[in-house]
Amino acid sequence: MDIAASILAEAVRAGTPLMLATLGEIYCERSGVLNLGLDGVMTIGALAGFAATWLTGSVWMGLAVAMLAGGLFSLIHGFTSISLGVNQTVSGLALAMLGTGISSLLGAKYVGLPLRESLPLLQIPVLTEIPLAGGLFCHDPVVYLGMVLSIAMWLILFKTRFGITVRAVGEKPEAADAAGVNVQLVRYLCVFLGGVLGGLGGAYVTLSYTPGWREGVMMGRGWIALALTIFSLWNPLGSLIGAYLFGGVEVLQFHLQEYGVPASLLGALPYVSTILVLVASSLGLLRKRLGAPAALGTPYRREG
Amino acid sequence: MSLSKLGGMKILLIAISLIIGLAAGYFAGGAGKVPESQYNQLQTSYNQLQTLYNQLQQNVSSLARKLKAGFIYVGPVEDFGWTAAHDQGRRYVEKVFPWLETVYVESVPEAEAARYIERLVTEENVDVVFTTSFGFMDPTIEVAQKYPNKMFFHCSGFKRAPNSGTYFADFYQVYYLNGLMAGALTKSNKVGYVAAYPIPEVLRHINAFALGVKEANPEAKVYVRWLFAWYNPTGAREAAQALVSIGVDTIAFTEDSTAIVEFAQEQYRQGKQLYVFSHYSPMQDVGPDVVVSGQIVHWEVIYADILMKIRMGIYNNTNLANVDYLWLLKEGAVELGGKPGVPINPKFVNDLKSKYLPGQSISVYDAVLNRLTLMKDVNVPFDPFTGPIRDQAGNVKISAGQRATIAQLFTEEMNWFLDNIIGSPSG
Repeated sequence: MDIAASILAEAVRAGTPLMLATLGEIYCERSGVLNLGLDGVMTIGALAGFAATWLTGSVWMGLAVAMLAGGLFSLIHGFTSISLGVNQTVSGLALAMLGTGISSLLGAKYVGLPLRESLPLLQIPVLTEIPLAGGLFCHDPVVYLGMVLSIAMWLILFKTRFGITVRAVGEKPEAADAAGVNVQLVRYLCVFLGGVLGGLGGAYVTLSYTPGWREGVMMGRGWIALALTIFSLWNPLGSLIGAYLFGGVEVLQFHLQEYGVPASLLGALPYVSTILVLVASSLGLLRKRLGAPAALGTPYRREG
Repeated sequence: MSLSKLGGMKILLIAISLIIGLAAGYFAGGAGKVPESQYNQLQTSYNQLQTLYNQLQQNVSSLARKLKAGFIYVGPVEDFGWTAAHDQGRRYVEKVFPWLETVYVESVPEAEAARYIERLVTEENVDVVFTTSFGFMDPTIEVAQKYPNKMFFHCSGFKRAPNSGTYFADFYQVYYLNGLMAGALTKSNKVGYVAAYPIPEVLRHINAFALGVKEANPEAKVYVRWLFAWYNPTGAREAAQALVSIGVDTIAFTEDSTAIVEFAQEQYRQGKQLYVFSHYSPMQDVGPDVVVSGQIVHWEVIYADILMKIRMGIYNNTNLANVDYLWLLKEGAVELGGKPGVPINPKFVNDLKSKYLPGQSISVYDAVLNRLTLMKDVNVPFDPFTGPIRDQAGNVKISAGQRATIAQLFTEEMNWFLDNIIGSPSG
């Protein structure tokens, strides 16, 4: 494999946890619920995945438990923001802190333990030899799952009835309600799905990317995924490009250091680009054009 | 113990002389009658005895009371690096000294350190506080000035006070030995170093490592990648990957996780042999096929020495202004190896025995063990930072035959890279 392909391969690996979490958050926000607790959800998934793998000896079990844990954990946010209709920003932030706090408390006994099982590598024989693009085909199943999901979730969101329902609930819940859609149920489903994918993204970090559990292992990936959700304009295909791009910037800094590019500058790039996107999206008019769901962050209560 | 024994002997001696005096007086003065002069003498002896007895009682009660030491940590105790190593030292001294009691506070933010240190003094009533992060330096001095009757020790700093000393265990000698092995093992002549921050401590270690590489293999270059973090497993892994993609096959690092060792072991499973050097904690068991050697710290050696001297009354709250431990191989504060008691992974011993130092008839294996012995010697007849040593621009940093001074190694003067290093010493 040439250098370009190996850089791409690393970018894809670095981008995968971001992409999985972003895909989940896109559905969550498309249905009108802003889940700022994503970093906490990912951390819960990271610990649950590692602990389950350690205890059962199976990575697949670890991934399953992580998805379930992430999904159930984000239902807390679902309950407060959908059923109780509280401020979603506050509830989400609380979830983020709760998630990191609980995992560092429960995870203390897993710190520094080596992971004996690992995900199998699936090298696609001929394709890995393609210059540059070969870097896309030398990964474990979770990476491929991410690629497939981003396309599948785009199809579902824009080409199926269920996708239209989700978007309707996020754009104009009262209209969807009038059309006979169960707004609360759809939102719960999307929040749960967001948690499942967030948990999977977290587990990918502790089971494959940097195997092992330790406090602070998520290193703010949840927050970057939140920014990526906006960066990708709430479009699953956008997250595919965005996540690999952010992953690429993260990886590239170590390649460019040799050419005198300051490490600190490159390290800041994902955050700088996030801020730029956030600034752009916060300008009211632009927000609409960017495709933000109109009812994002507003709880729905049936009139009368 | 020694104090009470001494006091006991004095009391015994005075008591014997008292009895002899009484007996003498009895016989000299006749039955029941004590002459005036004798009486005064006896009275003086008696008073002396009384004073000594009181003193002894004081000594005994102070010895019966346990010495209480408090530790302030910057990270969590199970961090597999810096804080874990300090806590291991704390647990060791608490186990071996029955007269010692310890408490600790973990994950203390540097900005709020003063409050935590003060709390140990006022609420936990400790006698001595150990603060274990460079960032705790000013808060330590601040609290030390506020509580002059307590003792403080700060790790890795340079500010002292009458009741506040400093201590540090440094690895540069061990890094040099790692470098010798790295230079001998690399097949691509490209050696990598993943580094935390461009500060004197890290620059000293990289230069020491590069000195070893250069001596074993003048053709090899050392490629440095900066992380700007003490703990960043993701970055460490990505940096290692970036190094491998330019042909590096041997990696040393300053980062508090096992990420690079795990990465190398993973590469080994996929058929690519990398050579790595474990950092700070024993990591050989994490990478049995890739860890050649490394550095292990023994803070317990320093903690035991300090606490023993406090207990014996050698250190007190007035004489610490010049107490500065800088302990190396000689004192046993650091050890060569990726596993305690194993200086070189047996798997690589044959490779190292078959490589010779350029132009010499000594194998790298023998050279490493030889120099290890010299640096453990009380007189330290060998030091890696012995001139002529040139920086990247060719300037002589340490002139021929000279050894680097403490200032050259441990202060801001250490801001350069050796001539075989590729990368910037300012990050």
